[in-house]
Amino acid sequence: MDFKDRLLKKPWPYWMGGIILGFLNIFLLFGTGAAWKITTSFLYLGIGFLNKLGINTGSWYYFKTYGTGLGEGETYFNNGLMIMAIAMILGSLISVLLASEFRFKKIKDRKQLIFALLGGIIMGYGTRLSFGCNIGAYFSAIPSLSLHGWVFGIFMFVGAWIGSKILFRYML
Amino acid sequence: MAKHELDCMFEACPIPLLKALKKLNTMEIGEILIMRTDHNCSIVNVVEWAKKQGHYIDYIELGEGQWEIYIEKAK
Repeated sequence: MDFKDRLLKKPWPYWMGGIILGFLNIFLLFGTGAAWKITTSFLYLGIGFLNKLGINTGSWYYFKTYGTGLGEGETYFNNGLMIMAIAMILGSLISVLLASEFRFKKIKDRKQLIFALLGGIIMGYGTRLSFGCNIGAYFSAIPSLSLHGWVFGIFMFVGAWIGSKILFRYML
Repeated sequence: MAKHELDCMFEACPIPLLKALKKLNTMEIGEILIMRTDHNCSIVNVVEWAKKQGHYIDYIELGEGQWEIYIEKAK
């Protein structure tokens, strides 16, 4: 296996990914003043479409209490987090094309579809209660020395442990 | 020698690994498990896990982004 294959096809070791992510996190925080979040961009997409349909999410208790976190001059469809999300998808596409592993994935069966939708709804709801996913509330929080990242981390492992037990026992 | 097939196409982590674990538990020593997957994490975590467990393992790329993993249960 030559160098090009090792670089593009083989996964990099965890420690190397960790170091690169750490530096990117510093550059992002330093350059933009904002932490990396993923699910909040989904939230913006969701409420953006709901507002287009004429549903006023601004009157909802959640947004009245906690706000939307949009910066000045940003809209639901045009904001820093949306650019990050699009960039991440493009980056993944480039890396999978470089590795020649691009494929369209199909939905396997109805069971997979239902569990994926259910899981997505539960995860989405959870991210709003905790103000972030494993990126926004964990990866971005701990280097900022925020206590909530540790609390999130502990319960994420508890949840993953319970989830894998349920998965193994009842769903496979 | 008995061969067992496991279809893990279109499935993401950790489903292929857990499916392999469950299937291997029901197999006899020396039997072969053939897994088909299109999830590139599987050729890392399933392979690492099987090696750690002491099973014999190998895999080939069938086409772009599609693999077949062979595990021989060793204990």
